[in-house]
Amino acid sequence: MRILWFILSPLIALAVGLFFLGLARKFLARTQWRYGPPIYQPLIDILRFFTQKSVSHGAVFDLGVILSLAGSFIVVLFLPFGGICPLQSSGGLLVILYMMLLAPLGLALTAGEAANPNSSIGVSRMFTLALGYEVPLLLVVLAVMARYDTISIVEIVAAQREGVSNLATFPLVLAGIAYIMILPALLGLRPFDVMQAPQEISSGPLAELGGRYLALAQLQHAVNMFIVVSLFVNLMWGGSSNVLIFLLKMIAVLLFVLWINASFPRLRIDQAIRYLWRWPTLIAFLGLLLVEVMRK
Amino acid sequence: MDRNQFIKWIESPGKMAHKYSLHAVYFSTGCGIIEVPPSITARWDAERFGVIPTATPRHANLFLITGYVSLKTLRAIIRTYEQMPEPKFTVGFGSCPINGGMYYDSYNTIKHLDRYMPIDGYIAGCMPRPEAIFIAVTHLWTLIDKDMADGYKRYRKYYAQYRANQERVLGRLEWPPLFPLEKVHEASA
Repeated sequence: MRILWFILSPLIALAVGLFFLGLARKFLARTQWRYGPPIYQPLIDILRFFTQKSVSHGAVFDLGVILSLAGSFIVVLFLPFGGICPLQSSGGLLVILYMMLLAPLGLALTAGEAANPNSSIGVSRMFTLALGYEVPLLLVVLAVMARYDTISIVEIVAAQREGVSNLATFPLVLAGIAYIMILPALLGLRPFDVMQAPQEISSGPLAELGGRYLALAQLQHAVNMFIVVSLFVNLMWGGSSNVLIFLLKMIAVLLFVLWINASFPRLRIDQAIRYLWRWPTLIAFLGLLLVEVMRK
Repeated sequence: MDRNQFIKWIESPGKMAHKYSLHAVYFSTGCGIIEVPPSITARWDAERFGVIPTATPRHANLFLITGYVSLKTLRAIIRTYEQMPEPKFTVGFGSCPINGGMYYDSYNTIKHLDRYMPIDGYIAGCMPRPEAIFIAVTHLWTLIDKDMADGYKRYRKYYAQYRANQERVLGRLEWPPLFPLEKVHEASA
């Protein structure tokens, strides 16, 4: 039975991620008073990418995309989704934080092998942005671990109250606010979509990817969306033992982020770093102090 | 529009996916680009039919040449077209790519674009309205359905002739041939 979940939970993550991609496009269209594409449009696109002829730029180019997708799938195994978590006893939050860097690393290898200047600029922006959001993210995660005295994400979920009203409960209020402030950066959505930026650097790291490489990159994007939103729901909103309620919570978080995405223009990379290292970091640090003070 | 017909998706998923996921490179050579922003934004919203602009030819399968083609842009157009992954579809937009349009006697403008690269269809007009783009897309769907949008196959088959035409107007091309030239020569001889 446990073996079955090892196969099923990445597939569930993929399905939910693809649904999120479609929802994102539809939501953006409806905000702009357009009708928008059908919600299964990402599926059509990925099917089209798979049936197209693709150009490879070398072995690292092939392996990088696969590494990034595999890294995302591994993270999914550590994340509780509803009551399901295939790898609950091993590692916990620290492993998730390490493994989350595999996906950008694989994408960077691919983009480097493609030798397109736009890809290189995109990769450098991607890692600079990662430098920006990792600081507040680590502070937030540290606050959560200090609050519940554990590094196991399953125990963190179990320690929180069941229900909908437990969004960032009292000692974690500031940490929760900081987490919400960096969510668009984690997802690579506006105002932090400096990495792809189609109008400036023509899709950045994805510029040279065509055919099935692009399809794999899209699948990775979908799984990444699932990972980030589900990590937020697990750490800050108490997760849920019910898959349906968990999904509803994820959609609520996603719609909030998409609303920000539809409202704000893109920041420059230096503006993004200045913002990320100033306000979310400050608030997350105060949140960590608050948690430490309340423990005594 | 048969996007909702499940049987067709089972029968030929590749063809259906190509029909309803047309990611377009707009080659904004002339005044035709004016008609594109209204057609992809809130007024006409081409994304309803899966048509969205992309920033790089590697993601695209629809190539719109919107306006007159000068010798300098022809070079860039050919390179862009050769970078797109197959199957790919091209549409000439406006009367200039068809026969030169109002630039019929210009010394550095290409009059018949389909001598230098294969074109699957044209939208006539100077300029065509955004509605014409949608009519063109529905025509392209029909062509894809009947396997008649085969420009990329023609390019492969008659590459030697296309390359010779390109070299005649552009001089020596600085990129290597996309397909081997010798094989085609033998076939034509």
